[in-house]
Amino acid sequence: MTQRERNWLLVAPAAGWFLVMLVLPLSVVFIFSFGERGAAGGYVPAFTFEQYANLPARFTAFQNTLILAPLGTLAAMLIAYPLAYQLAVRTDPKWKTILLVLVIVPFWTSILIRSYAWIYILGGRGIPALIEAMGLGDVQLIYTPFAVLIGIVYGYLPLMVFPIYVSLDRLDKRLLEASSDLGAPPLATFFKVTVPLSIPGVATGCMLVFILLMGEFLIPLLLGGGKVFFVGNALVDLFLQSRNWAFGSAVAVMLIVIMLVTVTVYMRLIARLHTSRDDVSVM
Amino acid sequence: MDSQASQAEYDGDFGSGAIRPVAELRGVSKSFGEVLAAQDLTLRIEAGEFLSFLGPSGCGKTTALRMLAGFETPTSGEVLIDGERVNDLAPYRRPVNMVFQSYALFPHLSVADNVSYGLRQRRPRIERRTIQDKVTRALETVRLTGFEKRRIWEMSGGQQQRVALARAIVNEPKLLLLDEPLAALDRKLRKEMQIELQDLQRQLGITFVLVTHDQEEALSLSDRICVMRAGRIVQIGTPQDLYDNPQSRYVADFVGVSNFFDGAVFIDAGGRARLRLAGGLEFEGRAVGDLAAEGEACLSIRPEQIRLSREPLEGGLEVVVQNRIFLGEHTEYLVRHAVLGPVIALAPRQSEIGASGFVQGERAWIDWPDGAALIMRRI
Ligand SMILES: Nc1ncnc2c1ncn2[C@@H]1O[C@H](COP(=O)(O)OP(=O)(O)OP(=O)(O)O)[C@@H](O)[C@H]1O
Ligand SMILES: [Mg+2]
Repeated sequence: MTQRERNWLLVAPAAGWFLVMLVLPLSVVFIFSFGERGAAGGYVPAFTFEQYANLPARFTAFQNTLILAPLGTLAAMLIAYPLAYQLAVRTDPKWKTILLVLVIVPFWTSILIRSYAWIYILGGRGIPALIEAMGLGDVQLIYTPFAVLIGIVYGYLPLMVFPIYVSLDRLDKRLLEASSDLGAPPLATFFKVTVPLSIPGVATGCMLVFILLMGEFLIPLLLGGGKVFFVGNALVDLFLQSRNWAFGSAVAVMLIVIMLVTVTVYMRLIARLHTSRDDVSVM
Repeated sequence: MDSQASQAEYDGDFGSGAIRPVAELRGVSKSFGEVLAAQDLTLRIEAGEFLSFLGPSGCGKTTALRMLAGFETPTSGEVLIDGERVNDLAPYRRPVNMVFQSYALFPHLSVADNVSYGLRQRRPRIERRTIQDKVTRALETVRLTGFEKRRIWEMSGGQQQRVALARAIVNEPKLLLLDEPLAALDRKLRKEMQIELQDLQRQLGITFVLVTHDQEEALSLSDRICVMRAGRIVQIGTPQDLYDNPQSRYVADFVGVSNFFDGAVFIDAGGRARLRLAGGLEFEGRAVGDLAAEGEACLSIRPEQIRLSREPLEGGLEVVVQNRIFLGEHTEYLVRHAVLGPVIALAPRQSEIGASGFVQGERAWIDWPDGAALIMRRI
């Protein structure tokens, strides 16, 4: 057996998995998106662009997703970074593991149950009641984009914390000392050494969270109360309720295209950011 | 302490009592929990000198350096830079730069941006043009012209070492601290870099403080060496001073090679120190260091002080030649005395026995001139 053959043999299981689990379903969705809805729902083979022409009907879902997913990613990143920093840089090594476990503890219960907790907190008898008791007026929190945002950040925070934590933990602490030694105050050291060197972790975390958020449907369903829905909700509706598989497939294909484009642009951007010279480069 | 004596001698040598030292440690101690990493360090670092901390692993050299840089705060005592107490001054406020053992170069910056890093932190800001010139000059000094745009991981170990050096010297610090800067380099490159370091120090006139556990390195580079042991300074002096006047066996052993014979010291009728060994042997010697008038001590004689002869020597010791190692200029003989055991003697090439040479198993006599033997502490 040649080296080449052996390589193929090693890759074969992964390639098989990839084919069956990813390419096949995607192909089915792609083909369906050019079909028509049957009389009793489902799919009737055809070749028409009608489903794609209908896409504007679901504009709000796309709009909500494309606003709240990046916003949620950004918010999660801004909250996760200081947390990861504290854990990786400032915490005594003997506490690190315990605190890290605490970060993932919420994962031990279903997001469904945790979101219900938020329904209560943001609902009439939760924070709004408190605000009213303080005489600050009547506010609506639950079933608003804000509630969905909170739910998103809460649910996806651990996914953001981990990659950032890893990149900060791996950061050579002597580089921070070197920066200080060369006259940089702590804040300058943070922005000129710590942040640039943790970009890979931040990029990974953002990508993970963003991709998952694009397909999210549970949090908008529970905390958006049918008022704030994502593309994911549209898909659930089209496939399970109205059984319009052809249109659902078109929506799904559209989502995939949008994701491919944004992720590609994003990766290009990160790659450039990472190899670009220091902003105040002298050469 | 004995270091006091050599300190005084040193001051005499340089006649610089009036000049304020660049940096000073006054009774500085540092403990990490249970571990006493540095104890009662007292030391003046004079402007323009090349000082080395020498000692085995874990003796507190790095700790001493890090207290000068500001990365560690002394548990007690005072650190002074330029006459000012800096115990609580953050590293980025000190006119001191450090070359780290692992270089600690910024991987996300180019060579030029690494070197200019310190200059770019200055407030008020330095003009771009000036920074550029200084960086160019610093890279020229370490012979890395043309490497400006390179990435750190595109540089060899020796080149990275030079970048680290350039990154420090470009700031023209009052004090340049080097923590085993050459330890990661192979032998040949290390020799080259040693010479370059010395040239650099003379050329720039910056005060260098080097940490090393390589005695050769310390001896060849330093104006003064500060020998450390278990967190304490054992002796400070010029390389010659340490070699010729070690105050303890520890220093004599660490700086150069020596023969040691254990015995009991006493003062004879003429008021001179003598060492009594097993087997009724007795030697006169110069007592050094804080030695008790009576008690356990040892005699130290450098191999090159020992004379080897085929003819019986008046008052000499009879030995048997055991081994011979040709070292070019010198020949090293390992001889054995019935009571003293193995003795190392270094014979220069020109000497009569050096030319013909002893053979293994041959009988010979050894002795040493008056004043060559030192009587000192056993530790
Ligand atoms: N941050 C720290 N925490 C606890 N103990 C420390 C710390 N830094 C140093 N020590 C201890 O202090 C002692 C002196 O350490 P130091 O690093 O100064 O030694 P060194 O002379 O530089 O040794 P080497 O030649 O191996 O680098 C050692 O026993 C070490 O274990
Ligand atoms: Mg060290």
